[in-house]
Amino acid sequence: MEIFSGLISGFSIALTPINLLFGFLGALIGTAIGVLPGLGPAATIALLMPAIYVIDAPVTAIILMAGIFYGSMYGGSTTSILLNLPGEAASVVTCIDGYQMALKGRAGAALGIAAIASFVAGTIGIVGMTLFAPKIAGFALSFGPPEKFSLAVVGLLMAVTLSGASVVKGLVMMALGLLLASVGLDPISGKTRFSFGIIELQSGFDFVTLAMGVFGLGEIFYGLESAIKTEIVTTKVGQVWPTMKDWVASRMAILRGTLVGFFIGIIPGGGAVISSLVSYAVEKRVSKRPEEFGQGAIEGVAGPEAANNAASSSSFIPLLTLGIPGNASIAMIFAALLIKGITPGPFLIVEHPDVFWGVIASMYIGNVMLLVLNLPLVGLWAKLLRVPFGIMAPVIILFTAIGSYSIQGQAFDIYSLVGFGLFGYLLRKLKFEPGAMVLAFVLGPMVEGSMRQSLLMSGGSFSIFVTRPISLALIGLFAVLAIGQTAVTLRKRFRTTT
Amino acid sequence: MKRVVAVFAAVMFALVALPAASMAADAFPSKPITAVVPMAAGGSSDLLARAIEKFWPKYSKQPLVVVNKPGGGGVVGTEGVVRSKPDGYTLYLGYGSGHDVVMPSLQKMPYDPLKDLVPVSRVSIHSVVIVTGAKSEFNSIKDIIAWSKKEGKPVTTAVSVKAGAVDLALTAFGKVAGVNIVTVPFSGGAEATTALAGGHLMIGGGHPSEIIPHIKAGRFKALAVALPQRDPTLPDVPTLRELGFDVATWGSIKGVAAPAGTPKEVVTYIDENIKKICNDPEFLKLMASLNQPVLYLGSDDFGKFMKQATADYAKLIKQLNITID
Repeated sequence: MEIFSGLISGFSIALTPINLLFGFLGALIGTAIGVLPGLGPAATIALLMPAIYVIDAPVTAIILMAGIFYGSMYGGSTTSILLNLPGEAASVVTCIDGYQMALKGRAGAALGIAAIASFVAGTIGIVGMTLFAPKIAGFALSFGPPEKFSLAVVGLLMAVTLSGASVVKGLVMMALGLLLASVGLDPISGKTRFSFGIIELQSGFDFVTLAMGVFGLGEIFYGLESAIKTEIVTTKVGQVWPTMKDWVASRMAILRGTLVGFFIGIIPGGGAVISSLVSYAVEKRVSKRPEEFGQGAIEGVAGPEAANNAASSSSFIPLLTLGIPGNASIAMIFAALLIKGITPGPFLIVEHPDVFWGVIASMYIGNVMLLVLNLPLVGLWAKLLRVPFGIMAPVIILFTAIGSYSIQGQAFDIYSLVGFGLFGYLLRKLKFEPGAMVLAFVLGPMVEGSMRQSLLMSGGSFSIFVTRPISLALIGLFAVLAIGQTAVTLRKRFRTTT
Repeated sequence: MKRVVAVFAAVMFALVALPAASMAADAFPSKPITAVVPMAAGGSSDLLARAIEKFWPKYSKQPLVVVNKPGGGGVVGTEGVVRSKPDGYTLYLGYGSGHDVVMPSLQKMPYDPLKDLVPVSRVSIHSVVIVTGAKSEFNSIKDIIAWSKKEGKPVTTAVSVKAGAVDLALTAFGKVAGVNIVTVPFSGGAEATTALAGGHLMIGGGHPSEIIPHIKAGRFKALAVALPQRDPTLPDVPTLRELGFDVATWGSIKGVAAPAGTPKEVVTYIDENIKKICNDPEFLKLMASLNQPVLYLGSDDFGKFMKQATADYAKLIKQLNITID
């Protein structure tokens, strides 16, 4: 009852013209930066901070920022599907099957299902947040270093198995990703590693630069080989909307992805990334035709896209109920709340119910706005594929160069972008799947940092990973999955040889 | 695509151009001032910078724009300021942080934090507070020592980063009190306090801005402050010296600096504006809600203070025999 009246008052706040306008602006800006490679929500919100002081009502300011954040999750899938360019770590997985769908002339269906999955998951995520926020907030706190280590390792090994064809090649990619992640400051001792005296390397490589280089530029360089081919993919955009068959295939994937995303998103640090990985692995596992994954399976787009949107909704829970920001964008919203004189935490809902319920209500409205904004654009985006390669490729290179420069404002990142591009080309030639490397790069610092923190806590004893229930459960879950997978593979091999 | 980009560009242009529209005069400043925060957005240095950014236009005809340049523990962004034109249009906000006063005693720096920067004004000091979880069996510093002596086990301690102000203060406390303190570094204060709030470590250290919200929420108990005197934001918490342990640090100092060679009158102009902001009742109110004490010092005094603080840290590091190589 309390929730109901809270929500009603929240809608009365979110539906005022000014808040509707800012909610729409947020969704619009979010979609735009999601589509533009390189520019992320955290950087955009930081850039907009001076404007945020000018906005009088705190709730309006937060509605704008929240819109930018979840809007970018919608937009992020677009370039992953069309150009194999993940703008965010969470949309790396979307590249795998989304881009394959685009290559097969099914870009429209991929974009459509991504938008629908995002909408459904985002909305269910907010419903979950409305009903259970305070009750499940404590769940986030129960994840200490040992739990985070186990979670990250499970995510990492899933990244290896999901790359498909060869587990050995996947492991090589994973090791390489971990190695690249170790460049820069050692998270525990504070020493610089592998920087070779280059000051720009002290802070390590940037994720977006790595991903844009290996995926996007690598793809373009590979395309140069067949220069006669004038388009990136076929001229045929194909049917824009998902078919009935697509819908049947993906609706359960969307629901599973939502559930996975909602719970993993609550955990501070890397929630959205791991949730998209886990969702992909789950879909591959439950699918009756797992061999289609990596070749353009629509569930491989629907599940992870649902997961990262549900995670972006649920990542507001630790912020609003515990005062704990779980990722960079949420940290900016946290800062803005403080500047506005509001301390996020357990008292927020009591002291500032207008902010709490107003923001939640605006998220319901924002998700509808995003769907309306994105669905008609699907056809437009898909037409982008008709742009000749000779025009598209330089434009992409220009945009990725601007994007990587804008992150830290250093020219060095453009050079590393090109370097990663050449490396990505090499990987394509040698038939390595770069996804595992990029994901290992993202999860590397979490794996390393939390393992060393755990060992400091336990005085060097590895037993800490199996004596704590959540950590043990995660490791157990992975063991079951791994043994099951191996058994299936062995049985198949046995059958084919006999 | 074009339409979206155009709308986006228009919004961005409006946001950048509007504050700059009130162009005037040839005297300094004739264009917006960039204030570099070499730390991630959302941290305590960033919050302080954002608060100044908000109040600056009240006293100056040109805005002050905060730019976050994190990386290398703060060195990357600070070096950018050191190497920029000394004309007052590029400032460093957060001068006196760990990488300015602690790091030079531990490793080779690409610049000299004392010589290559001109102190403009001190705004705040973020002290180091020793805390424990609300459900912890420890209710005082004495309890920690007693437990450690009885059990013979190390006390696991959450700190924001290795060899930062918090890590040093806790390590120094352990040495002086004869307790085996094992500091567990995280990537920043927010992560460290979150782990402590989850009950994954026994005690922790942090700045008031990070820990007071947790104290108010009933998750932390404050045990002691490692400053020479009590912290104005936590007047009821005793200092370690009061408790009989000769450990006091300057925590993390937060001031404004300009590249060496910046004209004196420009430094004076900025300092005077910061002074006005530091006396603004509304700014004081905002800073109080951020749990950051306003401890203003003018350019000359701040310079002397920085020399003193750097020397004190160097002495402490030598005494404790701390190295990171």
